[in-house]
Amino acid sequence: MIAFDANMVLYIIEIVIGGLLVGVGVHFVPVGGAPAAMAQATGVGTGTVQLAAGSGLTGLLSAGLMMSVTDNIFLIVISGAVGAMIMMDATMIVGNWVYIYGVGVPPCSAKVDYDPITKEPQPPYISPGTVGHGIPTVSFVSGTIGGLLGGAGGSLIYYALMSINENPGLSGFFAIGIFVVNAVIASYNIQGTIEGFHDPKFKRVPRAVQACLVASLIIGIFAVLITGGA
Amino acid sequence: MSVAAGGGESKIDKTKLMMYGLGGGVLGIYLTHVLNTITGTGYFSFLAGLGVIAAVVMGSDAVRRVCSYGIGTGVPSIGLMAMGMGLVAAWFGLSIGGVAGPIIGIAIAMGFGYFVGLLANKIIKMNIPVMEEVLMTLGGAGAIVLIGLSVAVSGEISYPLILSSVVDTGYIAVIFIAGSLAILHPFNANLGPDETQDRTLVHTISTGALAMFAAGLASLATIGTAGMLTVIIGAVIWIKSFMKYFELVKRDSSGVVGTGLLPEGGL
Repeated sequence: MIAFDANMVLYIIEIVIGGLLVGVGVHFVPVGGAPAAMAQATGVGTGTVQLAAGSGLTGLLSAGLMMSVTDNIFLIVISGAVGAMIMMDATMIVGNWVYIYGVGVPPCSAKVDYDPITKEPQPPYISPGTVGHGIPTVSFVSGTIGGLLGGAGGSLIYYALMSINENPGLSGFFAIGIFVVNAVIASYNIQGTIEGFHDPKFKRVPRAVQACLVASLIIGIFAVLITGGA
Repeated sequence: MSVAAGGGESKIDKTKLMMYGLGGGVLGIYLTHVLNTITGTGYFSFLAGLGVIAAVVMGSDAVRRVCSYGIGTGVPSIGLMAMGMGLVAAWFGLSIGGVAGPIIGIAIAMGFGYFVGLLANKIIKMNIPVMEEVLMTLGGAGAIVLIGLSVAVSGEISYPLILSSVVDTGYIAVIFIAGSLAILHPFNANLGPDETQDRTLVHTISTGALAMFAAGLASLATIGTAGMLTVIIGAVIWIKSFMKYFELVKRDSSGVVGTGLLPEGGL
């Protein structure tokens, strides 16, 4: 039956913060969708949700591993964030190998004239008829930050749920459920593609923050009421 | 089902599909529970699987309605979101509602869906007129699929039993992914200017049958040989519907010819 106590407010807040981190993290991940898969747009050639889910699930795994040895929230969240960052970076670097050595295109961005980090000029490297290709330095750094936020968010949700129901399977899948809802809302906000924090679409973050806040709050309220025991 | 080739028009009304989906899904889940508890066996678990197929058809039709607006993120995103909302709602329903759990879960999932659709339209400003209604349908479909497949594995509506036989064993992963693919794959595979509703929906029946088949395999370990019935019925529906689907593919394509293998040295 439903039992409500003061701790639940804390757990709901943790879930909401986690959902917000996931929603904002999606905006950092360089995702190019189908055009990027054909090396005609900057970013990793798949959908936002697949990328976010890939890094988020790895984050959950590493958070779960850490949770089996300690219940220190900081260690768990950091462990989840690092796991997601490693997954994100592995995806981007392997993607870049394919773009550079397989397709034969230099990584470059069409949204800025100079890479904000390396200061390299971008337009000379863009193939005619495309809007950039590969994952340039700025997008790579941005993607790593995205992995950090997504992984931290996912593991924070997992931690909150684990504190309530103490069932790893249940908490893990709820975390995935809350994670995908926030990731999809955020990816609607960027209409499926973004290059990273230098992309003009990044300015839409406040809208995603509002939407993810409300959505995680509502889902969080229901999620904390679910008991894990028999 | 009509045989004339159309161009993305809906020949079957959405309210009718929703009625069949919700009704069929709930009926399947409860028939499984009631018949299994009365007879004390697990032989009727396949009925929940049949209910899932009805719900999947409802969800897949909703996916095809919203994706024709061009959501920009790919079809899989909306199917996964449906399962995400459905998962939390379904488990909430099961954990507080006892036998009434599935109905509570489905109702809350539909509420989530409507609400997220409202957020997408009002805050994200997607301005897709059918968004609220479609996400509501999808949330309900997601919850029915999750509860239905879980009940097919566990044999009855009982939260502790579902926890021990579906969640703790890890079959929830199979159910989650097989269920979301059943909803999102058909439109993803059939989309395009020549998409027809009957072809997409027949394809949905086949993917739903595969999800039922997967749940059946999982149930072999939980309810024993009675799960074989779910496996066999799932496989038969899959074969039948896939043959029908291939027929419709041939109807809608300009021509299907066998080209044979590449000749020696052809590469």
